[in-house]
Amino acid sequence: MPRIIYHNGTAEPNVVEAADGTSVMRAAVANDVPGIVGECGGQAMCATCHVYVRAEHLDLLPEMSEDEEEMLECTAAPRDEKRSRLSCQIVPGPGLDPIEVDVPADQI
Amino acid sequence: MTTDVTGARPIPTDDQVTIPALFDDPYPIYRRLRSHAPVHWIPAVNRYMVIGYHACRTVERDQERFSADETNSLMKRSMGHSMLRKDDPEHAVERASYGGVLRPKAIKNHWRAVFDHNARTYLDRLREIGPGADLIRDFAAPYAAENLRVIMGFYEATQQDMQRWSQTMIDGTGNYADDPEVWRMAKESSDEVDEAIDRALPYLRSHPDDSLLSRLADLPVPLESIRANMKMTIGGGLNEPRDALGTTVWALLSDPDQRALVAADPARWSDAFEESVRWVAPIGMYPREATRDTELDGFHVPAGARLGVVVGAANRDPEVFTNPDRYDIDRPKQPHLAFGGGEHFCAGAWVARSSVAQVALPMLFDTLPRLRLDPERPARAGGWVFRGMRTLPVLWD
Ligand code: HEM
Ligand code: FES
Repeated sequence: MPRIIYHNGTAEPNVVEAADGTSVMRAAVANDVPGIVGECGGQAMCATCHVYVRAEHLDLLPEMSEDEEEMLECTAAPRDEKRSRLSCQIVPGPGLDPIEVDVPADQI
Repeated sequence: MTTDVTGARPIPTDDQVTIPALFDDPYPIYRRLRSHAPVHWIPAVNRYMVIGYHACRTVERDQERFSADETNSLMKRSMGHSMLRKDDPEHAVERASYGGVLRPKAIKNHWRAVFDHNARTYLDRLREIGPGADLIRDFAAPYAAENLRVIMGFYEATQQDMQRWSQTMIDGTGNYADDPEVWRMAKESSDEVDEAIDRALPYLRSHPDDSLLSRLADLPVPLESIRANMKMTIGGGLNEPRDALGTTVWALLSDPDQRALVAADPARWSDAFEESVRWVAPIGMYPREATRDTELDGFHVPAGARLGVVVGAANRDPEVFTNPDRYDIDRPKQPHLAFGGGEHFCAGAWVARSSVAQVALPMLFDTLPRLRLDPERPARAGGWVFRGMRTLPVLWD
C-alpha cells in the first residue's frame, strides 16, 4: 500500500494509503482529496488531474507519453516545465513510495 | 467490488412527471424532485432518473456497477453497437482507435484553420440572409455540421447530409413510441452512412489526410465497429456544439451585464462557454444499467435497473452551484458534468471548445457588434434528453 502525500497549500497535507496499482489521480478521487478532479477517468484527455511532483521524485517518474505532453499544454494552472504531470499517468510503487505532490490552485 | 444494500432506502416513484413538461422546461421539475431524493423512478420515461450531482458522478465513474451496455438499447438499433454503449476493455480499444484526431494538437495543426474558414463562410451567409435570420438554422447548425464533416472525412457528403443523418438517427435513438416512419428514416440514413464509409475508406487509403476515417482506414478495426462509431459520432458531434453555441448566444443577448464582461476581455469566451454548457447541458441525460443490486447515495438500486444520468439536473444542484438557475460567468469554478465523466468522457470536448468558444463566438460578436434578440419573434428553447434553442431569431445593424 504505497503512500501518497498531497500538499494543498494548507498546513496539513492529505496522506492516502493507495491500493497497489492505483494512480495518484484515482487515489485522490477515491479519498476525496480536494483539488484533483480527474474528469476523464485517467485517459490523459481532460487535464483536470494536474499536479506538481516534488523535485526528489522527478528522475524516477515514468516517461511522458505524447498524449500527456499535449494535455499539459491545456492545464488551468500554469505548467511547470519540470514538475508538472498528469496524476492519472503516475502509479506509485518502488522508488515512488511515498510520493509527494503539490496540488495546483485550479484544475478548470 | 460488492456494495452492501442493507439499510438502503427504496427509491421513490414520481408519476406526476410528463414528457411534454420535461421537453418544455425540465428545470422546475428537477428542482421539485431534488427536494425529495437524488434518484426517482419516473414511469413516464420508464427509467430511474439520477438527478443529484454526487449521485451522477458516482454512476459515471463506476462501470462495474453501472454499465453503458444497455439491454434493448434503441441507440444500438438505430446506429449499431458503438463504443458509447460498451464497457472497458472493449470500449477502450475502440476509443483508442480515434487516436489523436480529436485532440488538442490536431486541432491546433489542422482543425483550427477549418473552423476559422467555416465560421467566416457561414457568417457571410448569415449576413446575406440579413437581420431576422435564425441564428441556429442559418449559422450554428451548418457551421457545426461542416466542421464535423471535415474532421470525420466524409469527403463526398454535404453539411446538409450530416444534419439529416444526425437528426434522423437521433430520432431513432429516442423512438420509444416505436413509430415505423421514424425507424424508416433512421434506417435510410444509416444505409447512406454505410455507403459513404464504404466509398471513403479505399479512397482515403490512397489519399490519406488527417480525418477520422483516414486514420481508421489503416487500422484493423472491424467494419461493423467503424460504422457504429461513425454513426454515434455524427449523432453526438453535431447538435451539441450547435446547441452550446446557440445557448451561449441567447444567454449573452439576454443579459447585457454578462455580455459586457466578455466584451471587455476576450479571454472570457471560455468561461462564457463552460457556464453555458453547465447551465443548459446539450446532452441532458444519458443511460446506464445497474449490473447488480446496489446502493446509490443511500438508495437501493435493483439489478438490471435502467438509469438516466441526468447531468442537466446535476449541473443545477444547489449543493454544488449557488443560485444554479442563473447564467453567471463569474460564479466560483466547479466542475460541471456536461461532457460526462469517466471512461466515456466526451471525446470531442476539445473540438467543441475550440470551434465554439475560441472561433465562432468571438467572430460572431466581433463581426456583428450590434447583434440582438428580435423583440417581435421570441427565441425558444426545448428538449431535455438533448436541450438547446429551437429557434433564435436575431437582428443587427
Ligand atoms: C458542447 C458540445 C458537446 C457536449 C456537451 C458533448 C457531450 C458528451 C457526453 C455527455 C458524452 C458521454 C455520454 C455518455 O457517457 O453516455 C459524450 C461522448 C462522446 N462525444 Fe461528445 N459532446 C460534445 C461535442 C462533441 C463533438 C464535437 C464530438 C466529435 C467531434 C463529440 C464526440 C463524442 C464521442 C465520440 C463520444 C463517445 C466517447 C466514448 O464513448 O468514449 N462530442 N459527449
Ligand atoms: S484524469 Fe483526465 S487527464 Fe488525468
